[in-house]
Amino acid sequence: MGGKVSCTLGEVKNRADFILYWGGNPAECHPRHFTKYTIMQKGKFLPEGRKGRTMVLVDIRETMSVKAADIFLQVRPGKDFEVVTALRALVKGNRVDTALVEETGLKLEQLQDLVDRMKRCKFGVIFFGMGLSMTRGKHMNSAAVLTLAAEMNAFTKFVAMPMRGHGNVAGADMVLRWTTGYPFGVNLCRGFPRFNPGEFSTVDLLVRGDIDAAFVLGADPGATMPQPGIDTLARVPTIVLDPKVTHTSKLARVHITTSVTGISSPGTAYRMDEVPLPLRPVLKSPYPSDEEVVRRIIAAVDKKSAWLPKPATMASGVM
Amino acid sequence: MTVTITQNATCTFCGCVCDDIELHDDGVKIIKTKAACSLGASWFVNHTAEKLYPDALIDGKEASVDDAVEAAAEYLHRANMPLVYGLSNVTCEAQREAVSLAEKIGAVIDSHTSL
Ligand code: SF4
Repeated sequence: MGGKVSCTLGEVKNRADFILYWGGNPAECHPRHFTKYTIMQKGKFLPEGRKGRTMVLVDIRETMSVKAADIFLQVRPGKDFEVVTALRALVKGNRVDTALVEETGLKLEQLQDLVDRMKRCKFGVIFFGMGLSMTRGKHMNSAAVLTLAAEMNAFTKFVAMPMRGHGNVAGADMVLRWTTGYPFGVNLCRGFPRFNPGEFSTVDLLVRGDIDAAFVLGADPGATMPQPGIDTLARVPTIVLDPKVTHTSKLARVHITTSVTGISSPGTAYRMDEVPLPLRPVLKSPYPSDEEVVRRIIAAVDKKSAWLPKPATMASGVM
Repeated sequence: MTVTITQNATCTFCGCVCDDIELHDDGVKIIKTKAACSLGASWFVNHTAEKLYPDALIDGKEASVDDAVEAAAEYLHRANMPLVYGLSNVTCEAQREAVSLAEKIGAVIDSHTSL
C-alpha cells in the first residue's frame, strides 16, 4: 500500500480527536483497541480523554461497538463505496444528489454533518475493517477510504489504517514487501517476483487447481477455503506446519508439529500500525519452532539439484 | 510448583498485539494472565507445553521430524508450481525463512491478506 497516509497507534492515542471505525467491530474483535489506543485513553494533547474525542461508527448492523460510539451510521450492505464517494464529493464542496445518497440507507444531512466534523477536528483517523475491505467493492473500498483520508489533509491532519486481525498477518505484508517488493500473492516461479492479485492469490490458485504442491504454515485453509480449493489441497501433496493437527493437516501428506508463536517460540510480530514488537515466550515447547523447521527443509532442498536452468543451457537457447 | 511471573509479554491473538501482558506460569501451563482481554487470556491459557500431538505425520502415520522434513523437501522440489501459504500465526523470522524457501523452489507465496 504505497502512499498510504497513516500513523502509529501512539499518535492516535496522543492526538486523535476524531475517530471513525468503518466496517469493524472492535469491541468484540479487537477488545483493547478502544481502551489501550483510541477513545478511552488520555493523550498528551487530549487531557480530557474520552470527552475530548468524537467516535463515529459506520457499519451495516448494530454491533457491540455501537455502545461506545457517539454517532452510529447504518449503511445498507454493499453500499460502502457509494458512501465514501459521496463523502469525498462533499469534502470538496461538490453537489451530491439526495436520492443517490438515500439509496445507501443514510441521509445527505448525516453525511454533511460527518464531513463538517471531519473538517473541524485537529487530527482524524479512519480505522477500516473487513466489513469494508471484504465486501462488495473489496480493495476498491479500501482504496477509496485511503484516498478520502489523503484528501482530508487539505483541511486538517487525517490518516487511515486497516484493522488487521490474525496474529502476525501485518508482519507477513511487511516481510514480503521488503523481500520481494510486493505485499502478498507473489509468484516466484520464474525466479523473479511477479504480482497479480486474482491470478496469484491463494483462493484463485486453489479453486482453479493451478498448483501441484502446497506448503502451509500459520494458517488452516482446509477449514476456510471454498470446497474446490480444499479439494485441490487434498489432491496435491500438501505439507503443514502447525502447533495443532488441523483440518489441513488431515488432508495433507506431511504434517510437522511446531511450537506456538509467542508462547513458546521467540521472534517478532507486527502490530496493525506496522510497529514491530518482540515476543516474550514463557513456556518451553517439546516441538521445534516454525522458523527452525523451514530452515531444515531449505537445507534438505539445497542438497537436491537446482530447478533453474543452468546458465550454459540458457545461453544456447535450449530452455 | 514454582510459578514464574513474566512482565510485558506480547499477545499476538489479534492485530492489537498488546505488549503489556503479565503471565504467571508453572512451566507447563500459563495459569494466570493480567491486562489481557478475554480473547487474549483464553489464547494464553489454552496453549501448554505438553506433548499433545505427534512430532510429525506422513500420510497420517506418525513419523520423525527428520523423515517429515525429507518428505517435505522431496515434494516441494519435485513440484513445478508449489504454493507457500499462510504466514499469519508465525513470527517475521519464520516468514523470512518461508520467502527464502519459496524462492528456492520457485513457488507462489501468499498470506491471509489476499483473501
Ligand atoms: S490482549 Fe486482546 S486486544 Fe490485546 S492483542 Fe491480545 S486479543 Fe488483542
